[in-house]
Amino acid sequence: MSKAVTSKKSKLPLGERVKREWNRNAIVYIFLIPVLVHFIIFQIYPFALSFYLTFMDWKVIGDPEFVGLKHWKYFLTDTLAWKAIWNTVKFSVYYIVPTMALGLLLALIINSGVKSAGFFKGIFFLPVVTSFVIIAGIWGWLFRGTEAGMINYLLSFVGIEPQLFLSDSSQALAVLAGLSIFKVAGSTMIYYFAGLQSIDRQLYEAARIDGASSFKIFWTITFPLLKPIHFFVAITTTIGSFQIFDSAYLLTGGGPNYATTTIVYYLYEQGFTSLNLSYAAVLSYVLFFIILVISLIQRKYLGQESNNY
Amino acid sequence: MKKVISYIALIVLGFCFLLPFLIMILGSFKDVQYAQLDPLFWIPDHPTMKNYLYIMRDGIFVRWIFNSVIITVIPVASQMIFCAVLGYIFAKKQFPGREIVFWIFMAVIMIPQQLLIIPKFIMFSDFGWINTYWALIIPELWGIMGVFLVRQFLQNIPNDLEEAAYIDGANDIQIFFKVILPLSIPVVATVGTFSFISNWNDLFQPLIYLTQEKMFPVTLGLASMLGKEGNFGIEMAGSTVSFIPTFLIFLFFQRYFTEGIQMSGLK
Repeated sequence: MSKAVTSKKSKLPLGERVKREWNRNAIVYIFLIPVLVHFIIFQIYPFALSFYLTFMDWKVIGDPEFVGLKHWKYFLTDTLAWKAIWNTVKFSVYYIVPTMALGLLLALIINSGVKSAGFFKGIFFLPVVTSFVIIAGIWGWLFRGTEAGMINYLLSFVGIEPQLFLSDSSQALAVLAGLSIFKVAGSTMIYYFAGLQSIDRQLYEAARIDGASSFKIFWTITFPLLKPIHFFVAITTTIGSFQIFDSAYLLTGGGPNYATTTIVYYLYEQGFTSLNLSYAAVLSYVLFFIILVISLIQRKYLGQESNNY
Repeated sequence: MKKVISYIALIVLGFCFLLPFLIMILGSFKDVQYAQLDPLFWIPDHPTMKNYLYIMRDGIFVRWIFNSVIITVIPVASQMIFCAVLGYIFAKKQFPGREIVFWIFMAVIMIPQQLLIIPKFIMFSDFGWINTYWALIIPELWGIMGVFLVRQFLQNIPNDLEEAAYIDGANDIQIFFKVILPLSIPVVATVGTFSFISNWNDLFQPLIYLTQEKMFPVTLGLASMLGKEGNFGIEMAGSTVSFIPTFLIFLFFQRYFTEGIQMSGLK
């Protein structure tokens, strides 16, 4: 850009050179400097402070005290922390594949040339922009563990006994996963829809001429060609599932019997209810390492900017 | 035949996705205690505005909405400006350290907010920011994601226009406002809509930084109502009111949302 204006060998006096550089790049310095200061204060410094915290005993009053690896060692033997990790993994199992499958199904329907597809796309996307609090309020009512709950009412038609849902430690996590599936499927649909739009139509025509059934076309052409999307969506939903918190906080408070205590919920509980900020920092680093590993897998397979289908 | 199956699936799924919203809206017109709920209660037989009057008369709910507006509108405006300019800087300007700074930004994006919230809580306690708007506004004044989106967008735009303006003697600030910004409107709108939704719907940060009821945004206010009111109709009226701004933004900017989601390889 504009090499003519400033050449390295310019014999201009310093003041003139500064002035020219300022004229050339004023906007950079005016905006970048405050942003970098902000970035250091609100991102870099907290990241370092959090790491420092893990080696300290942080008292709300008085000076922090160095305790070395105490909190890290405690984490290794903390059965509740491992239960929280296990719960989060279980949640991922309930959540990832159904979210992908539902997103793909919605995208296929929208893409099948139906009328008013845009309108329905909007409906499926609506939960994505709706706050967890609103959806949780309705979800809690739908899944009330009494005969007056709507889902139990519907189940009664097919002769199933009323379920306890959120009060049953073997079901609560699945109900929360259901809420997340409902909330996120719309954005998964958008990715898949973009993927479907980019598939060459000639492939379908050729397959039809060969007399392949719709079912076969899907499994031999569409599904394999969406591989980059499958991978990308799998990574993003996995990262999302490890950060699940809102629904557990709103609907179950981590219960019953710790069944919905996820990593972030446990971190919240330790840090802000029990005020063990140092231990919460350890847990947050555990979460960070998990997400880092998932992200590194993504980068390895998809390269730095994995968003050009 | 295939079309018929598609339409049936579309209508069934569409209904399932709309049902929770129908329950919310219809339920808000019904005066009913939790204890008396029946499964089909949400079809109101005597619609009433009672719940809306109740939450509107109860000054605290209006205050929550006001709080949400404050902690949403300021970050949205600021993010749009900063992300537009920074996206331009990282896409089009040459300056020492450009690549390394951007690389650090992209690395930091991987740090989950749950990790930063603990040290930020300690920092904000020292700053005296607990129970103030600052804790929710200042950290959100710009975002790496927004810068990334604008940069992506501008990298695909040829330099001819700027260079022509440059030769005409325009400086960067004029070029930015006359050439770059008009072109970037769609992507800046995307940044704005994302920022709106994430700030309006945020629950985790307010939960940590705010303890006084009068400072709550509507998300946290609703969360404190859930189960406490004992009146489903009032909860649903609150939900409906807090849903309206989200819905309007979504209605007008849906295109920017879906484009933004496709553009972002993150979140």
